[in-house]
Amino acid sequence: MPMNRREFLQDSATALAFSALTPGLALDGPASSVRRKVIYDQDNSGPLGTDIQAMLMLLQADNVDLLGITLVTGDDWLQQEMAYTLRLLEMMGRTKVPVFAGAELPMINRKEEALLRYQLYGGHRLDPWLGAFNRSSRGPGDVRPLPPPYNRFAELTQQQEHAARFIIRTVRENPGQVTLYAGGPLTNVALAILLDPGIVPLVPEIIFMGAGINLFTNAFNVFFDPEASRIVLRAPWPKVTIVTVDLGEQVHIGDELSPGRRMVEEISERAASPISDLFRQHSLPEFRKNPASNGFRMPDEMCAAQITDPSIFTQSVSMYIDITTAPGSRYGDSMFWDKNWDGIWEFRVERTPQWYAGPPPGARLVDVITAMDVQRFKQHFVDLMIKPIQKA
Amino acid sequence: MNPGNRPAETGDVSIAAPQTTSPAGSQASGGLRKLIYDQDHRGPLSTDTIATLMALQSEKIDLLGITTVTTDYWVGQETAYALRLLELMGRTEVPVYAGAANPLLNTKEAAQMRYKLFGSRRIEAFLGAFNKDHWGPDEIKPLLPPYNKFAEIKAQSGHAAEFMIKTVRAYPHEVTIFCGGALTNLAIAAMLAPDIIPLTREVVFMGGSMHRSTSSVNVYFDAEAAKIAFRANWPKFTIVTADLAEKVHMGDNQRVDTIVERGHFPIADLFRDYEQKTHRDIPDLLWFRMPDEMMMAHIIEPSIFTPAVPMYADVLTDDDGHYGDTLFWDKDWNQGDANGPTAGQNAPASGAGLVYVLQDLNKDRFRELFIDLMTRPIRKSTQATSKAGA
Repeated sequence: MPMNRREFLQDSATALAFSALTPGLALDGPASSVRRKVIYDQDNSGPLGTDIQAMLMLLQADNVDLLGITLVTGDDWLQQEMAYTLRLLEMMGRTKVPVFAGAELPMINRKEEALLRYQLYGGHRLDPWLGAFNRSSRGPGDVRPLPPPYNRFAELTQQQEHAARFIIRTVRENPGQVTLYAGGPLTNVALAILLDPGIVPLVPEIIFMGAGINLFTNAFNVFFDPEASRIVLRAPWPKVTIVTVDLGEQVHIGDELSPGRRMVEEISERAASPISDLFRQHSLPEFRKNPASNGFRMPDEMCAAQITDPSIFTQSVSMYIDITTAPGSRYGDSMFWDKNWDGIWEFRVERTPQWYAGPPPGARLVDVITAMDVQRFKQHFVDLMIKPIQKA
Repeated sequence: MNPGNRPAETGDVSIAAPQTTSPAGSQASGGLRKLIYDQDHRGPLSTDTIATLMALQSEKIDLLGITTVTTDYWVGQETAYALRLLELMGRTEVPVYAGAANPLLNTKEAAQMRYKLFGSRRIEAFLGAFNKDHWGPDEIKPLLPPYNKFAEIKAQSGHAAEFMIKTVRAYPHEVTIFCGGALTNLAIAAMLAPDIIPLTREVVFMGGSMHRSTSSVNVYFDAEAAKIAFRANWPKFTIVTADLAEKVHMGDNQRVDTIVERGHFPIADLFRDYEQKTHRDIPDLLWFRMPDEMMMAHIIEPSIFTPAVPMYADVLTDDDGHYGDTLFWDKDWNQGDANGPTAGQNAPASGAGLVYVLQDLNKDRFRELFIDLMTRPIRKSTQATSKAGA
């Protein structure tokens, strides 16, 4: 059942912890005493997009203790993402943040099969993106030079430990304290669970970007690795927060912050380097060229905001979720069921449910964010981008 | 599919086998065969445990470690049996690593519901730890005689899959992985460290079927893991199918009586209590086939088998009555008459892996090897020599 904002906050220990922070004030003022430990698992596709923008938010927030970045093939291939991530950390002066390579391939899904599936069943009309499996995508080892302002590959190098191993070790060392941000396919997190299922109850919250209920049900981060998604979304986490494509669709990067003034214009003009350079070179031109465009939605930024200022989100619904793994036309579909499917009076005849509207065995409850304060989100995002570059 | 990516079938040429009549065997390198033994170790005695006894008794095997995985039993119960068996055999130097407690995706509830909805498999219906009446994952039942008690030795810390990764990297191109249960541990290792795939000498697996049925429990217990393992580009992935395993049964030719009569503790006792007595008490009980024993025989003395046939293989993961079915295609599917009516239409799935399917065996030589291993004096630890440089 939909909750009002008060119930939502009471329902969420984490949200409660952060409800004391006044947004804006906390960000501009002295460092908050509550710095949330975060592992950032991402298909960090450069040079600039929803992935990188979310990373910039976490780097800029002073209430985040970024323990490490783990990368996974998704929007791009692992090593290309690695090149962008390492170099961005250098440019941001944050070379202490360790970066770990994870899975180069999904558990079972492969490019050839994904493309054959599209030909056989038809592509996804509303989300045709296949990331590293796009028809035009090159091979996993073909790392291209980085454009300005990245300019060159980093001197910083990746850690030797596998991403899944790092997640296990870090959660074990900080029981009950590490929030898991999952902005890409869930391969790394699934591998961590398979190796050490004991970490699951030790993670207070996992925030995942993916799945959809209304806009469409087949979203990239899920259908790129459906088996991993099912493993992760069925695990008994204390709290799973999901930013669906439905929510993501509420804000686009090209949207206006105030009438006549786009967020990206504000950032390009007011942010410090290298954030200003990134937006000037890799975001602004699109909107100069095509003023009618409002660009891509902001799902990963919303995931990041769930960490940096959860009070932006005003409503969530507890629902069962599961993922279809049969390799047919619905491979990677997300399915949702109401928490109280058995108690909705319309479905009952003489106390007996009239039909079965419930989940399959194994499906677990997640918190689906359903409403947000759009203006505050946009302001929060812009604030983080234009504040002075956060020191280590 | 990776046509041509793998070396041609050349036979197993590098096993020390001085007494063998096979010319291939005589070219042996002289070293022991390094083995990771991955097993759903069902006690007190089963095809699983008997293959373990073969590995422990063979002078050709350097047993680097035993890894366990839920399939026939839950992993905790299997590990308890494996540890205590090592004590009874005086081989406590062999490390044991517990692996996956659950398949990647499959669950008992789903497996049971699938059977209700689609009907069970008629011939291979066994669901192991997911059987309706099987006990829970956290319950470890007392071990039956002659095990009598839980072992004092403990399983190593660390996951079975990470032990596989570490070991294969330590001995590149030398380690054979025996997979006698579901392929969950192997799949996790392959996903975490794809670099070990080309570094593994051979994977030997028991599971799947072409004729007798369309699958067997080691595959359909964890269909996704089997799919991952079949599709990975191992230098050699050898399969004992249920078809082949059915060619020999434990009760054939007084095999059991001979072992009980001539064997030593604890092997003779195990065969007396759990093969001889069981079948004497229940005359109608069918003798089980010898799949895992064949896998081990293939590793110890490959010349017992006719050459394996390379084929493409895949596993269905649709969540229906065919969950875990195995599919096989001829390697030379494209070599037929180009003008024939089926030209190009018998191709393997795009992701199918190349595997080597064992076809037939010399039953007499298999019996001879098996009886010899089960009745010779209990082999002492060879830790001093075999672990040198480990």
